[in-house]
Amino acid sequence: MARKHGRGMAACWYGIARTATVDRASAFAEIDDGGTVKVLTGVTEIGEGILTVLAQIAAEEVGVRPQDVTIGDNDTARSPEAAHAGATRQTYMIGNVVAMACSEARQRLAEVIAKQWDVDVDLIETANGEIWARGTNHRMTMSDAVHCAKSKGVVPVGSGSFGTDTTGLDPVDGSGRPWQAYVYGCQVAEVEVDTITGEVQVLGMWAAHDVGRAVNPRGVEGQIEGGIVQALGQGLMEDYQLQNGHTTTPGFAKYILPTSLDVPRITSIIVEDPDPIGRLGVKGIGEPAMVPTIPAIMNAIYDAVGVRITSLPASPEKVLEAIKRKEAETRQHAMQAAE
Amino acid sequence: MSELRIEATINGRKVKRTAQPHQRLLDFLRDDLHLTGAKEGCGAGECGTCSVFVDGVLKKSCLVPVGKAQGTNIETVESLAMGNDLSVLQQAFHKAGASQCGYCIPGMVMAATAAMRANPFAGREEIKERLGGNICRCTGYQKIIDAVELARDVQNGRLPISALAELDQEDGKFIGANIRRLDAPSKVSGALKYAADMTMPNMLHLQVLRSPHPHARIVSIDTSQAEAMDGVEGVITCADVPGEDGFGVFVHDQPIMARDKVRYVGEAVAAVASEDPVIARRALEKIKVVYEPLPALFDIDAAMAKDAPVLHDYAPDNVTKHIPIRVGDIEQGFAESDLVIEETYSTQAIEHAYLEPEAGLAYVDPDGVVTVISPSQNITHHRHMLSKIIAQPINKVRFIMSPVGGGFGGKEDMIYQGMLALMAMKTRRPVRLVFTREESIASTAKRHPSRTVLKMGLMSDGRIRALQLNMICDGGAYGLSSEGVMRKAAILGAGPYNIPHLRVDTLALYTNNTPSGAFRSFGALQTQFATETTLDMAAERLGLDPFEIRRVNAMRNGATTHTKQKLKSVSLLRVLEAAAKGSNWEAGIPTSRGDTRTDMGGEGLRPACTLGARFETIEATEPQSEVA
Ligand code: FES
Ligand code: FES
Repeated sequence: MARKHGRGMAACWYGIARTATVDRASAFAEIDDGGTVKVLTGVTEIGEGILTVLAQIAAEEVGVRPQDVTIGDNDTARSPEAAHAGATRQTYMIGNVVAMACSEARQRLAEVIAKQWDVDVDLIETANGEIWARGTNHRMTMSDAVHCAKSKGVVPVGSGSFGTDTTGLDPVDGSGRPWQAYVYGCQVAEVEVDTITGEVQVLGMWAAHDVGRAVNPRGVEGQIEGGIVQALGQGLMEDYQLQNGHTTTPGFAKYILPTSLDVPRITSIIVEDPDPIGRLGVKGIGEPAMVPTIPAIMNAIYDAVGVRITSLPASPEKVLEAIKRKEAETRQHAMQAAE
Repeated sequence: MSELRIEATINGRKVKRTAQPHQRLLDFLRDDLHLTGAKEGCGAGECGTCSVFVDGVLKKSCLVPVGKAQGTNIETVESLAMGNDLSVLQQAFHKAGASQCGYCIPGMVMAATAAMRANPFAGREEIKERLGGNICRCTGYQKIIDAVELARDVQNGRLPISALAELDQEDGKFIGANIRRLDAPSKVSGALKYAADMTMPNMLHLQVLRSPHPHARIVSIDTSQAEAMDGVEGVITCADVPGEDGFGVFVHDQPIMARDKVRYVGEAVAAVASEDPVIARRALEKIKVVYEPLPALFDIDAAMAKDAPVLHDYAPDNVTKHIPIRVGDIEQGFAESDLVIEETYSTQAIEHAYLEPEAGLAYVDPDGVVTVISPSQNITHHRHMLSKIIAQPINKVRFIMSPVGGGFGGKEDMIYQGMLALMAMKTRRPVRLVFTREESIASTAKRHPSRTVLKMGLMSDGRIRALQLNMICDGGAYGLSSEGVMRKAAILGAGPYNIPHLRVDTLALYTNNTPSGAFRSFGALQTQFATETTLDMAAERLGLDPFEIRRVNAMRNGATTHTKQKLKSVSLLRVLEAAAKGSNWEAGIPTSRGDTRTDMGGEGLRPACTLGARFETIEATEPQSEVA
C-alpha cells in the first residue's frame, strides 16, 4: 500500500501580551454627534481583525452598533500610546482599554440624561443606538442624547489605561511573572503519507484553543486556520536557505509556500476560560494557533509510517529517506531473527 | 528607447496614453492610471496579487509587457464593484471573513471571479485548483474557499441573497457575534491604500545599495559620481545620521546604514533618491564602496568556536542572549526516572512571506515634524528610536501606521524607516521606498533556525520527573528580537506540565547570516516542537495514549509554572478534552497504529489530492426561493 494514514496530536501553552516586562496600552473615546462613537488608540489592524473586534467592544459598551464606531488613528501624533501590534496582545490589551474608555464616556452621558429625566443613573440602559431608563417611559436615541448632553455643556468622553502586573526573569534561575494571562491549546492532525514519493498531505486538523472569550468567533477561526497553514508550511515545505551568507531561495519560485491545494480541512473548537483580571475576560489567539501544529503533524507521520522526523521540514526526500532507512532496519532485524 | 502609444479599454473606458517600453502592465495600471487594486507581491508571476483580466482572460499583470495591452480590453478589480455595489463574490468574501490583511484579496477576488465564470457550478476541490496560482499568507485559504462556495450558491439560487447580509443583534450584544469585518469592503474592492499605493506631490523614489559581502570592513564609500548624476536629488550614507545611530527591538546594535562594517549580505549601505526610480537604481551603480572582506561565520558551531571572529565588540563570545531557567536538581531528577529519552531536533529559517513587501513614505511637515508612514508593527518604539537617531525631540517625530499587508512579526524591525526619514530631511521632499520581493527576502528578519537537545526523564506511570532543554539558535548578523525570542522559547519550552526538576537554556548567537527576528510564536514554536514530539515517544515507550500522558502531567488550577509563578485558572484539561472529543480521537498507544485505527477517514477531512480528480461539478439544482 503506497498511501498510509495516521493521526497525531500535540498540546501547547502561550503567554498573552509582552513578555517579562510591564505591558500597557491606552485609548480615548468620545460619543459623537449622531450617536456615533470615536475611538482613538495607538495601534490597530495588521490583518487579524482587531478593528472589528474593537468596534464590537465599543458598540456593546456604549450601546450603539459596530458600524457606528470609527477607530483612529495608528498615529503617534494623534492617538495615545498602545505599544505594538504583536505578542498576541491586541484583543487583550487594546480590547480592555477601549472597553474602559467607552464605559467612562457612556457613564458621562448617562449622568446627564439621568439628571434630565430625574431618575437614578443606575436605571439608564443603552443598546443599539437607544438610551432609556429601566421601569420608566423615558427613551430616546443616542443621537438625541448626545445633542442633549452638548446643550448642557457636556461632551461625553472617556479614557482608559491598562497595565499588566508582571516582572522580568531572575538572571540565574529564571523565576518571575512573565505574563498575567496564559492560554492553552491542543491540535490533532490526520495525514496521508505516500510511501513511494515521501509526500505528506495533511487532510484534517482539529484545533481546540482557549481564547478567554471570543469577541468574534469567525475571526478566531481565521487566526487558527491561518496559523495552522503557516505552521504546515514550516513543517512540510518552507526552507530559507543560505550558501556562504547568500540566499539560494531569493523568490517565491524557490521559497515554496502552501497554496490552496496544500491545506487541510480545519475544524476549530473554541474554548472559553475567561481572564479574571481584564475587564472583558478576553485573552488571545494569534500566535498560539500555530504552536502545536508541527508536532501534531510529525506525530501523525509516525503513526502512519513509523518514522520520526526531528529535523524540519519533513520534505518528501527526508520522509522517503527515513522510510527507506526504517525498511532496511526492519529487514535486518528480520534476518537476524531468522538466523 | 522610444515611447509606446497604448490604446486600450480599461474598466469600460477608452484610454489613450504613452508608456515606457520597460513598463509592465502592472506598472502602467498602478503608476500611470492610479489603479492600485492590483498589487505587486512578487513581480515574478508566483503570487497572483497582480491578477487582472486581459480580453476576459485572467493574467498576472506583472508578467505582461505594457505593449501587449495595445488594443485589448482590460478589467481590474476596480471594475467589479462599479456603482459602489460589491459583486456577489465580493459580498461573499465580506460575509465569510475571507480577508485578513487583504493584500492578496484583490487578486484572489479576480481569480475567484475567473473560476466562477469558467464553471459557475465548480465544486470545492475545483475551486481550490482554480485558486492554486494565488498565494495568501494570512487566512489558510479555508474562508476564501468558503466564500467562493457561498457566492456560487447564491448565484445559482441555492441560497438566498440574504445569506450575504449581516446578522441582526437585536439585544445590542456584539461581543461573541460573528460581525462581518468592517474593513473587508475596502479590501475586497481594492480601494484600501497600502504604503506602496500612496503618492505625494513632488515625491522622490528611494533605492538602496546593499552589501554583497557577508562580512567586510568598509574602507571607503565614494558617492560623488552618483550625486553628480542628472536626476539624482540626494544620496545618503551613515555619515548623514545626526544622532545615535542604532536600532533593534532589544539591543540597538544595527545602524540605519552600515557603519565601518557590513555584517550580512543585503545589509543597507547607502541610498539614492530621484524622481525616477530607474535613475535612482542606475545611480546605485555609481557609488563606489571599497570593502575589505573579513572571515565570516555561517553557523552556530563556527560562532561558538574558540578564536571565532567577533562580530560585535560588545559581545566578545558572539552571544546575543542566553536565558536560563532552573528548578530543582536536574541530575537527581534523571537518577530517579524510570525512562530517559534524549533526542536532537532542528528547525530551519523561515521567511515571513507577507504578501506586502516593505514600503514606506516619509516627509517633513510644515512644522518640521519628520513623519514616516509605513506598515510598522511598532510605531511607538520606532518613534523613540528615530528621535535619538535624528537627534530630535520626540514630538518632532511622527509615525503613522499604514495598513499592514501581513506582518507576523516581520514588520517590528525599523529596517528601512530610518533611511526614509534621513532622505526626507536631506531633500525636504516626500520620499517613498518600495522593496522588491527579492530585497524583502534577502534583507529582513527570519524565524530563528534552531538546534535543540531535549532530554526527558519519566516515571513508569508517565509523570515527567526531569526535563533538560538546550536550544541554540542562529540569530544572524544583528540582535533584532533575538533576546525576546530566547526568553519566550525558554519560559514556554517545557510545556504546560508539572516538572519537578528542570534545566532550560536558550541561546542566540551572532553569525553573518540574514538576521533572525520576531516571527509569530516567537521561539515557543521551536522548543515546544521538541517537547511535544518527545512526549509522543515517551507515550509509546510507556504504553500510554498521547492524550493520557499529557493529562497525567498537565498543570491544573493553582499550578506553579517553571518560572515559579502561581497560576489561577488553567484550561489545559478542558482544551485536551475538547480536542479529543472534537476529533473523535480513539485512545491508544502511539505505536504506528495508523493501519488499525478506526477514528480516521471521518468528518472534517479534505479529499487527498490525486491529479485530475478535482474537477467535479456540483449538481445544478432548481433555484430556491428566498426565505423571509
Ligand atoms: S504574480 Fe504578479 S506580483 Fe506576484
Ligand atoms: S489576507 Fe491573504 S495575504 Fe493577507
